[in-house]
Amino acid sequence: MNRPRTVVAIALIWLPVVATAASWAAWSDRLPARMATHWSGTGPADGFSSTGAFGTAMLIVGVVAGVAGILAAVRAGGTVGLRYLLGLAAAMAGSATGLWAATATATLDNPADPRLGWRLVFFVAGLAWGAIVVLVAGSSPVTTPPPPPAVTPLDLGPTERAAYHTTLRSPLIITATAAAAVVIAVVAATGQSALWALLVVPVLASVLFGQVRVTADRRGLRLTAGLVGLKFRTIPLSGIAGAEVAEIEPLEWGGWGYRVTPGRAALVLRRGPGLVLHLTDGRRFAVTLDDPGTPAALLTALRARARG
Amino acid sequence: MLFRVDVAAAEPLADQIAAQVRGGILRGELDPGDRLPSARELADVLDVNLHTVLRAYAKLRDEELIELRRGRGAVIRGDADAARLRLVELARQFVGEARRQGLADAEMLAIVKEAQP
Repeated sequence: MNRPRTVVAIALIWLPVVATAASWAAWSDRLPARMATHWSGTGPADGFSSTGAFGTAMLIVGVVAGVAGILAAVRAGGTVGLRYLLGLAAAMAGSATGLWAATATATLDNPADPRLGWRLVFFVAGLAWGAIVVLVAGSSPVTTPPPPPAVTPLDLGPTERAAYHTTLRSPLIITATAAAAVVIAVVAATGQSALWALLVVPVLASVLFGQVRVTADRRGLRLTAGLVGLKFRTIPLSGIAGAEVAEIEPLEWGGWGYRVTPGRAALVLRRGPGLVLHLTDGRRFAVTLDDPGTPAALLTALRARARG
Repeated sequence: MLFRVDVAAAEPLADQIAAQVRGGILRGELDPGDRLPSARELADVLDVNLHTVLRAYAKLRDEELIELRRGRGAVIRGDADAARLRLVELARQFVGEARRQGLADAEMLAIVKEAQP
């Protein structure tokens, strides 16, 4: 958390907030009590708000983003995804300030008939602020990943070979996707025919995740969509630093299904026991399994054997 | 389920693989409809000959535990019966021990009849 670049990145997240506050103070005597805050395209304004309420709202968004940035640095310090969390906060703070600057300067420029026009650039620049902060925050230092919890390796003799194989079925995913498909089909049938295309989403989800084959062997870990035989995730044995057994709480991993969140990915088909792999690049991968102890012990043993 | 073979063991590798699948069905780790890894894949990861795995799968098919279909691979049969399988497994041990003791078929059958209450 105390890396200088992280501290600079957090300062940069707060900079737009300061800019909003400072410009408001500087312009306060020239801004009307109500100002134009909504335009349709490049035409005249079609929505007005109280200047105080609009400025305050933009400041609150900025402050929330700034606080979120600090919390992210404290909670997710050292993880691969921190720079993106900081970038997201900066984009949020920057775009709020961009909105403020665009509307306020439009009003100052021509109070009688404010036009937004090219000032949308302020908003885009505010969003781009996020990208700058991502660059400033820099990639996480290559921290040596924390030693994964010890798993008793499978007692594999030198003449023994072993491979783990299991099939995951997910009644939850199949039910949820079937329900989504029915809803889409009903809405599509009642006139919104463009929605038929959306049916692809639940159908694809059930084809991919309704039945998943998981194998752990001397090649590493593989997840294969059972119905179509598509390998959608492979982790080579050399990429695995360690394996552990853990209780998978779906919300901690980003929800149900195949989830990718900064620094980790998971196939979560239910709440409960799962296999968590610590990868050599510091990331983690989890999959829910009924019997995660067996593949964890097997991969640990194979890993030890590969190291020699 | 875990496939585990020992290349140094006296039991043929195909028998070891078949025994692992039977064990998986017995323990409920393999359910009807579950697909076994393809013979090619299993041979690769266990580093054994493809024909060894094919022999194991053919044996399981003859025991009516799995179905072998071109393109679909090996699937546990819907009527693969764990309870019956347990009896078959016990009978297999009985026959093995009887053979070691040099009993003929008729003597074995006699023992089975005697075992009835």
